[in-house]
Amino acid sequence: MSEAGIALGDWASVPEGAGWILLTLALYLAARLVQRRAGGSPLANTVLLAALPIIALLWFADIGVDRYRTGGQVLLWLLGPATVAIAVPLYLNFARVRTTLLPMAASLAAGSLAAVVSAVTIGAAMGASIETIRSLAPKSVTTPIAMGISAEIGGLPSLTAAFVIITGILGAVFGAAFFNMLHIRDARARGFAMGVAAHGIGTARAFQENEIAGTFSGIAMALNAIVTALALPLLWFLFA
Amino acid sequence: MRLSLNLALAFLLLVACDSAGKLLVHFAALPVPGTVVGILILLAGLGIVRRVPAPLLKVAEFLLMHLNLFYVPAGVGVIAYLTLLADDVWPIVVALFVSTFFAMLAAGFVFQWVARATHNGSPDP
Repeated sequence: MSEAGIALGDWASVPEGAGWILLTLALYLAARLVQRRAGGSPLANTVLLAALPIIALLWFADIGVDRYRTGGQVLLWLLGPATVAIAVPLYLNFARVRTTLLPMAASLAAGSLAAVVSAVTIGAAMGASIETIRSLAPKSVTTPIAMGISAEIGGLPSLTAAFVIITGILGAVFGAAFFNMLHIRDARARGFAMGVAAHGIGTARAFQENEIAGTFSGIAMALNAIVTALALPLLWFLFA
Repeated sequence: MRLSLNLALAFLLLVACDSAGKLLVHFAALPVPGTVVGILILLAGLGIVRRVPAPLLKVAEFLLMHLNLFYVPAGVGVIAYLTLLADDVWPIVVALFVSTFFAMLAAGFVFQWVARATHNGSPDP
């Protein structure tokens, strides 16, 4: 009986889910247009531009976010296969990875450690709840993997997803200016740091800067996801 | 027609790698997210065939170019956690800001230093 009920509920939500997917797609395309009009300004971030109108709609029309999820979860599920696609540029750039192995390995270790340790330390020092601290730890890793890590260490995966998105937008919006301020001019270093700190959203921004920065950012995002996923749960149980 | 079929198959290959990774993680009780194992499976596969089939390259480039689309639902999901976010709003705001910049600073400087120290200073043309 309950099974039939679930099936019926699912079918009833199919048209609504399709509507939300179409709305999200339309807003994403509009966001890309705005981004192009804005001359690729980092403030014109497509995640931010597409999500804000939906958030406003849900808020003002008093619609529960669960109803948006009927469609949103389909797109979120697609993030899994889309993230697996990182293996392709990673494989194609293997030669480049090999020649700059040392700078990459050192930068990866420093960047991923800095991201996790500083987030956890600041959260703990300022009295955040343990769930918040656990959910903060993997926030520099791309969404599907960060959510997995969060679940492993006892955080709230959806809260982590929120932190991941905010982190990515912060990195994408302020990264270039920040690197200029620090006199980090090497396109490889800029891209790699962007990918380590701000995952896919940072990588999309790095590709706007140039091809080299984007490529190194993509490599950094993939390596950071793999390394953090392997190391963080282990370190967490050793030290926490 | 043939091309679009190959593109669809390439996409299904990505789905298969992701799903295989998730299944493996579930049944072997690995403390790693399934998508990471999916990436490793695809990398191993590409290493064995030693080339990237053209349709797979096309699909991968397309998906990675539009990765931001798939982040939008997670961005909307932030709204569901507003009350939880509000409880810890200052630790969260400070931690996210400082830690993002600290990670960029550490990764960027270390990359530049080591590249110079190992005489790998010339960026690619």
